[in-house]
Amino acid sequence: MLPQTRKLQVRTADQTRRAELDLSPDETGAAIIQSAVEHWALPADADYALVNVTQGRALKPGETLEEAGVAAGDVLEVQPVLVAGG
Amino acid sequence: MNRDRYLRQQAIEGLGVERLARMRVVVAGAGAVGNEVVKNLALTGVGRLDVHDFDRVELHNLTRSVFLRESDVGRPKAAAVAARAAEVDPNVRIRAIEGDAWRTLTLAGLYGCDALVAAVDSLEARMKLSQLAQIARVDFVTAGIDSRYATVEAFPYARGEAPACYECHLPESAYRKVAERYSCGWLRRALHAEATVPTTAITASVAGALAVQAVLRPDEAAGASRVLVDTRGGTASRVALARNAECPGCGLLVPRPRRVAARGDWRSALSTHAPGAAFVTLSDALIFGYACTACGATDVSRTYVGHAAAEFDDRITRCASCGELAVRIDVRAEARVDELAALCGRTPPPAKFLLANAGSGDAVCLDLEE
Repeated sequence: MLPQTRKLQVRTADQTRRAELDLSPDETGAAIIQSAVEHWALPADADYALVNVTQGRALKPGETLEEAGVAAGDVLEVQPVLVAGG
Repeated sequence: MNRDRYLRQQAIEGLGVERLARMRVVVAGAGAVGNEVVKNLALTGVGRLDVHDFDRVELHNLTRSVFLRESDVGRPKAAAVAARAAEVDPNVRIRAIEGDAWRTLTLAGLYGCDALVAAVDSLEARMKLSQLAQIARVDFVTAGIDSRYATVEAFPYARGEAPACYECHLPESAYRKVAERYSCGWLRRALHAEATVPTTAITASVAGALAVQAVLRPDEAAGASRVLVDTRGGTASRVALARNAECPGCGLLVPRPRRVAARGDWRSALSTHAPGAAFVTLSDALIFGYACTACGATDVSRTYVGHAAAEFDDRITRCASCGELAVRIDVRAEARVDELAALCGRTPPPAKFLLANAGSGDAVCLDLEE
């Protein structure tokens, strides 16, 4: 039986790009980030993290939506990993 | 001390004069964010500040760094920042330490300090400083910026047995970028160019404010957390960071190792505190072997073997005798105790510390610098 998908919103940190997606619970945060970088042409030389802004939790890199407890309706945000001190 | 200076903040919970005067904070990085962090800590009256930076002031720093002036160009950043910060509040004792924080910071020096703030410019430096803070059980705060966003992460290493560490949420791509800087796993690539990230005074000031808030008001109940502010959009998010059981950063440090001073004889210390240990993990990779596949081991091998890999770059893979790229180098951070003894004798290896399993769920961190 196919795993039940859940409808989520994925957006960039500046909130200029958003998508309502039906995602499988087996989907990993890393795969969602990869898709976002490709579809929205985000700078490929940057690193990104995925956070569940609805629940106030960051997803671990290899974690699936199921493992991270992501629920239908949650908003996931692709955020840059910043390592410059200026 | 004239207490009138602190009259308006004395009444604010958590910002009492005595508490702040007792605090000691180490700031690694005196760039734009480091300037802001030091400024805020000095303004609030934190008693002791140590500022570490290897760099010198350049003209382009002046658009983002609150303490730097044109007359500082060419001076060590740490000294320039410390001198100006000392004018802010003469009650604050500020030390400037010039050099790479990984070299200038010691575990012994971190003990008893209230927080280590990483405002450095590289992912790798942040990873290393996080390790030091974990072992020293010192709260760790990182602050990073670009031209739009400011982020601050707080890791309460002084509290709780195993909060998430800085690396628990780093994506795989970050490790690939670090690996690209090296050849043979550990030798810096001589021709690797670092990308420059544009930053602004605005993002630096937001990051500096949030970082000092995390230092002065650690959330006792919460674990590790990250705040990201979009300075253009005016939005912010705060998320909890849970520990990652598969994290390569804290995997070796849970359970937390006991720190033991090597006192000049690492073998005696190791046999006393971890007598059954057969393997050790070093904080810094060492060169265990160096031989040209054409010429064999030559006199030049002695120049490298037994030294830290960080002292060299990948140009040493070209044989000094035959000129070919034929040198085979054995460079690593893991070693059997007997081979490390063969390499270094009783003299502490050129590394900050080594980790060893002491059995029964116990681990030891041998401080090689003390």
